[in-house]
Amino acid sequence: MQWLDGLIQGILLGGLYAQYALGMALMFGVMRLVNITHGDLVILLALIGISLASTFSMGPWSVLVVLVVLGAVIGVILQRLILNRVVGADPLPSLIATFGLSIALQNAMLQIWSADTRSLEGGAIVHASFQLGPLFVGVLPVIVLLTATVLTGGLDVVLRSTRFGRALRAASADVEAAALTGVNPKTVYTGATAIAVAILGFAAVFQSLRSTVAPADGAFQLIYAFEAVIIGGMGSIWGAFLGAMALGISQSIGFRIDPGFGILAGHLVFLAILALRPQGLLGKG
Amino acid sequence: MTQAFAASSDETMQQPTVRVVRQTRSSLIAFAVSIALLVAVASMPLWASQGLIRDVVELCCYVTVAQMWNLLAGYGGLVSVGQQAFVGVAAYAMFVMAQLWGLNPFLAVPLSVIVPAVVAAITYGLLHRLDGPYFAIGTWVVAEVLRLATSVFGYVNAGAGMSLRVMSSYSPMERAVGISLLSALMLLVAVGGSYLLLRSRYGLALVAIRDNPVAAASQGVNVGLLKFLIWVAAAVGTGLAGAIYFMAQLRITPPAAYSPTWANVSIFIVMVGGLGSLEGVLIGALVYFVADRWFAQYGATYLVVLGLLTLVMALFARGGLWGLIQKVTNASWFPTRRILLEDKP
Amino acid sequence: MSAPLLSTHGLVARYGDFQALYGIDFEIAAGEIVALIGANGAGKSTLLKSIMGLLRVAPDMVKLDGRPVGGTKPHRIVAEGVAIVPEGRRLFVGMSVIDNLRVAIDHAGRPAANGWTLERLYGLFPMLKEKQAVPVQSLSGGQQQMVAIGRALLSQPRVLLCDEISLGLAPKVVKEIYQSLPSISEAGTAIVLVEQDIGLARATSNRLYCMLEGRVSLTGRSAEISREAIGEAYFGGAHAVA
Repeated sequence: MQWLDGLIQGILLGGLYAQYALGMALMFGVMRLVNITHGDLVILLALIGISLASTFSMGPWSVLVVLVVLGAVIGVILQRLILNRVVGADPLPSLIATFGLSIALQNAMLQIWSADTRSLEGGAIVHASFQLGPLFVGVLPVIVLLTATVLTGGLDVVLRSTRFGRALRAASADVEAAALTGVNPKTVYTGATAIAVAILGFAAVFQSLRSTVAPADGAFQLIYAFEAVIIGGMGSIWGAFLGAMALGISQSIGFRIDPGFGILAGHLVFLAILALRPQGLLGKG
Repeated sequence: MTQAFAASSDETMQQPTVRVVRQTRSSLIAFAVSIALLVAVASMPLWASQGLIRDVVELCCYVTVAQMWNLLAGYGGLVSVGQQAFVGVAAYAMFVMAQLWGLNPFLAVPLSVIVPAVVAAITYGLLHRLDGPYFAIGTWVVAEVLRLATSVFGYVNAGAGMSLRVMSSYSPMERAVGISLLSALMLLVAVGGSYLLLRSRYGLALVAIRDNPVAAASQGVNVGLLKFLIWVAAAVGTGLAGAIYFMAQLRITPPAAYSPTWANVSIFIVMVGGLGSLEGVLIGALVYFVADRWFAQYGATYLVVLGLLTLVMALFARGGLWGLIQKVTNASWFPTRRILLEDKP
Repeated sequence: MSAPLLSTHGLVARYGDFQALYGIDFEIAAGEIVALIGANGAGKSTLLKSIMGLLRVAPDMVKLDGRPVGGTKPHRIVAEGVAIVPEGRRLFVGMSVIDNLRVAIDHAGRPAANGWTLERLYGLFPMLKEKQAVPVQSLSGGQQQMVAIGRALLSQPRVLLCDEISLGLAPKVVKEIYQSLPSISEAGTAIVLVEQDIGLARATSNRLYCMLEGRVSLTGRSAEISREAIGEAYFGGAHAVA
């Protein structure tokens, strides 16, 4: 029973990780870059949300709306000011630029919010749970998983059947050919980053409702997002979703073997995938 | 295209006499200064205070770790944000050999680099499957795995860490002599070794890989093997610095040994000093060291500035300070490239 | 001749330190088919890239309707009415035929009175309609080339640049593709044809330019230029001496 519980909790945890991973998969797919501030942005949005909630006594759902919009705005600024200057075949400039920004962001957050862990007050829903056979399942984690599923499905539909989605897929396949077909690469890039950071707005609210956030936590969210993307298979939206589930299950089962082994178990599954199936679960040969 | 060259070769029939030169006056001066500095580091117990020795050893470790990162990113095209993995495993290996196995600690330092070499060889097999930026994050995961694994490993006292109590059997002078000699040796290996490597035909091949991997491969350069070797060599150098650093600290814990600060500092030093040059690393290390002494009291604000400076360098001055200096003076302290001089008839 | 639709004026282009083009003067009028021939490395593709804004050139070096457009970003040039069928086709791998075409429709310039529609394109290449839903990478080389041409046409070009569209295709397919060109130019679209096959280029075009080592070595009406003149312009003085 303990293992079944571990599996269910793992899938639910995967719902949160999927929200970290989607944006990273999207940005890497179209720009071939990794934004090292990815995790720090979750924390930044979460801390802003927590401050908003306490200052204006806003409920978590109105905070969510504000953070998603704010995330999109931050994404546009990040792309225009920094990423557009470092996107290219050489991975070094984008890594270093976002690495430097990450250090600056973490320490700026430390200055503003101190090193304390904080969380968002969500009311009754945070503690609500229902019985599923012999197990108790939290309402909030189920909402998180449903949200992740809807976000993944929605993003998939956008990529498949909208003007923006086609332009983005075209730019992923061959950015120069896309430009020669009338696509403005910078518009596509900006759109992708805006969506990616907007999704982190969801992640920020759920992360701070489910547990706590502190300024230095961003590194973990970055690594979990990355592991989910690689486990699932690079460049695939549903791959990132599936990879997030696999990571969540690994951590959850590992945690039940030994509390000190949970996060390590996730890393080991990631390394095992790299050794045995480097193209990822959904990747093609 | 071939015709363009065929046509022009007629006009240049009488080839001008040229010499290939790598030594310049400034490089000779720099060479002399480096030797003097090495001697100064090695002889610190004779003239320096305990505090100064500690500072200089720390600076030597930064220079080494940064130079290894420079070798990876500036020449090998391998961007790592997880070099702390090698700092940590080497330092822990040294503690185990000296404290648990009773080996002479000064001998344990050079021996300990076997462990990062093995770890590097194994992890490269996995990491090289990751594309460009993902390679970098992969190195971070490896460092995290090692940190977490060390934290639950009872043999090395898990999360509580270890103390190097065997050092108390040496007098302060003996310790100072040992650590100063080891630091000088480390600088010689890291900076001198990189210099020789970059001047060798392997160095040329590395530069070729950096500038155009496809073309280098088509010219018969074994890109994969060279990248692997440089990855392992950098792990060895980084590990050596880790072992020396924690020997000076006398204490080790998983969070300190595998601290991301090592990656932060290397990246800052190389990016501010100048990627792909030895001079840049030396300049960057000095800038970092001075900044750290003067501004570290401002804590987080100081790190915000450090991070933003790295960002600005990546955006606007990829050659770092050394690149800017070279634009003005065109002098090279450690010339690794060849200069063609045309002799007047 | 009527005023040129697209022209270049002393166009100079370089890749880093390497100068590839030394002052190219070129022009094409609406409805014309102009061939661009020359040996490998003569600068034909470089000229097309410069026109499309992929290489940095001064504004006055490229003019469209007499307006300077040199150095304009590729997606803006497309919106201005210049489209290219790139060398090697460069289709969007992983996307279906129809999605490849839709990218062009989504970002097309001002459509002309009788602009290109999917219907009209399917009339030209019926295969495209049958294979709509098929991923482009599973098509044959000739079919892929038709998608590439279709994609360029749906950008509603006034000038269509074709970079080596016969390369690597079976003669029968080449013939089929070349037969489609007159019906494209009849509507007023100017076509620039970069072509290795000199005979084919000459037969299809109204005028031709021959390039040699980054310069125009010969230009004139295709029907009036002799094979010998082309041979000399193609291989340069070295050939004449040999």
